[in-house]
Amino acid sequence: MRSFWPIYKRELFAFFVTPLAWVLITVFLFIQGMHFFLLVDHFASMGPAASDQTPIQAFFGNTVLLYLVLFLLIPPMTMRLFAEERRSGTIELLMTAPVSSWSVVLAKYASVLTTYVAMWAPTAFYLVILQRSGEVDWGVAASAYLGVFLVGAGYLSLGLLMSAVTTSQFLALIMTALVVLGLFILGVGEFVTREGTLMHAVCSHVSIWAHMNDFASGIVDTRRIVFYGSCAILPLFVTVRAVDAWRWG
Amino acid sequence: MISVQKLVKRYGSGPRGSNAVDDVSFEVDKGEVVGFLGPNGAGKSTTLRILSGFLGMTSGKVTVAGHDIREQSFEARQKIGYMPEAVPLYPEMRVAEYLAFRAELKRVPRRDRAGFVDDAMQKANVDDVANVLIGNLSKGYRQRVGLADALVARPPLLILDEPTAGLDPNQIREVREVIRDLGKEHTVLLSTHILSEVEASCSRVIVIAKGKLVAEGTMEDLSRKRRAAGLVLVVRGDKERALAAVGAVPGIAKVTCEDPPATSAGTHELRCAWQKKLDDAGTAGAIEQAVAALVAAGCFVREVRAVRSSLEEVFAELTSSAAPVPLDPEPPPEAPADPEATS
Repeated sequence: MRSFWPIYKRELFAFFVTPLAWVLITVFLFIQGMHFFLLVDHFASMGPAASDQTPIQAFFGNTVLLYLVLFLLIPPMTMRLFAEERRSGTIELLMTAPVSSWSVVLAKYASVLTTYVAMWAPTAFYLVILQRSGEVDWGVAASAYLGVFLVGAGYLSLGLLMSAVTTSQFLALIMTALVVLGLFILGVGEFVTREGTLMHAVCSHVSIWAHMNDFASGIVDTRRIVFYGSCAILPLFVTVRAVDAWRWG
Repeated sequence: MISVQKLVKRYGSGPRGSNAVDDVSFEVDKGEVVGFLGPNGAGKSTTLRILSGFLGMTSGKVTVAGHDIREQSFEARQKIGYMPEAVPLYPEMRVAEYLAFRAELKRVPRRDRAGFVDDAMQKANVDDVANVLIGNLSKGYRQRVGLADALVARPPLLILDEPTAGLDPNQIREVREVIRDLGKEHTVLLSTHILSEVEASCSRVIVIAKGKLVAEGTMEDLSRKRRAAGLVLVVRGDKERALAAVGAVPGIAKVTCEDPPATSAGTHELRCAWQKKLDDAGTAGAIEQAVAALVAAGCFVREVRAVRSSLEEVFAELTSSAAPVPLDPEPPPEAPADPEATS
């Protein structure tokens, strides 16, 4: 695990020294700022009685806005992690240093998760802005951010896996986007399947829409934590196996 | 330092798979500079990748500095400085930054790191580009940054995969000088398909072809393999009688005579080709008999010299399973002219 730190530092460096991270963060903040403006504008013009939800709920769940940015931003964040190193051959140098597969995978994952958190951090200002003119339930906000973190952790881990199974960044991007989209569509199945069927149970279990709705309402359900925890840990485990498998290719 | 026993690497499975490395065994002792020679696709890079711990082996046993590469991979990898074939580097980092990262990754203690990095940059002659982005470096510099990377943790063993590939002659000379200096402190195993490179920097050579070990030994052993490809006799006397006399000697397949303008009047240059499968003793005997026959025929022998096959031909003979060295080869560079062309 001693090699975790240098690889983590280098990954963050590589991410922020290239334009990619800045482009992604700019696009992210621009889109989120637009969403925030539209939502606040909407709630202000409707008046308090017009809706049964708060701007925080709408911002973090119950609208398509959150899923749109995740769908657009997660795949380009993770695509390069392994695919680029395998394409350029630097993976050979990395793996011939005295490092373990676990530390390489965890360092890369931690770096991209850190970037994800850094991306979301400025949105806390939105809540500060809200508080100046209204009331913010900080408990609900914390639970919403927990939800965002968990969903991101799961998706980034899936993206990391996709990057490890191909040498093409583009293919990694497409596959990650498909998995993220697939999970979302499967979740939407919750609303079209009949209650009580197995399909309905499966769909509602993976329904990010319903999950984020809960989190954004301040409901921290341990089932969700377990689900996204396994979404993060399982792909990491498979990625480590994939990294070990290159040795035998 | 390195011990390789019955190493096999198989790509693919079942009948469609093929052995990239097939039952190769060799040793490299401490302090040696060993050349790993073979044509492209012989399995050099695969073998070096296995030694460096990047690839797994199908079967066999490899120990590096006493550590089994499979069971004590960590310890073994710490003893190795490896430079891969294409010298992949991170283009977005500066040279000094990159080497500091590599030093940390290779567990150089924090207080030694700066010193080790400076030292490696000096040895590999890259200290003048310490603050240049790797992406902006020329091929020659990138190659030397790769070398500095291999050196940075001061490993006892260096494994260099084609360190001079793609360089211009001046850069090749520079890299060779660096490698020769490194040989004083490190054990070096370097692969190449260029013979003169081995001659210039290695004390011992291992030749593989099509995944199999075909020769191993010192440079002298290799040059001893240079067989006489033929014989040149310069005689004074009657040309036809000399031809007849030499042609009758057992062991000589063919005699041709040509008189290049340089030969003085009355002398003739006879070029003889050996019969196939003539061993060393047979060759010596045939030379004696040829000279005796010439003297008996009333000719005066002025010069007897063997036409040696070049190192390139030795290489070709060792690495192509097709045929042993041809007995009537294209004359090597030192031979005056092509007998086929004039006869």
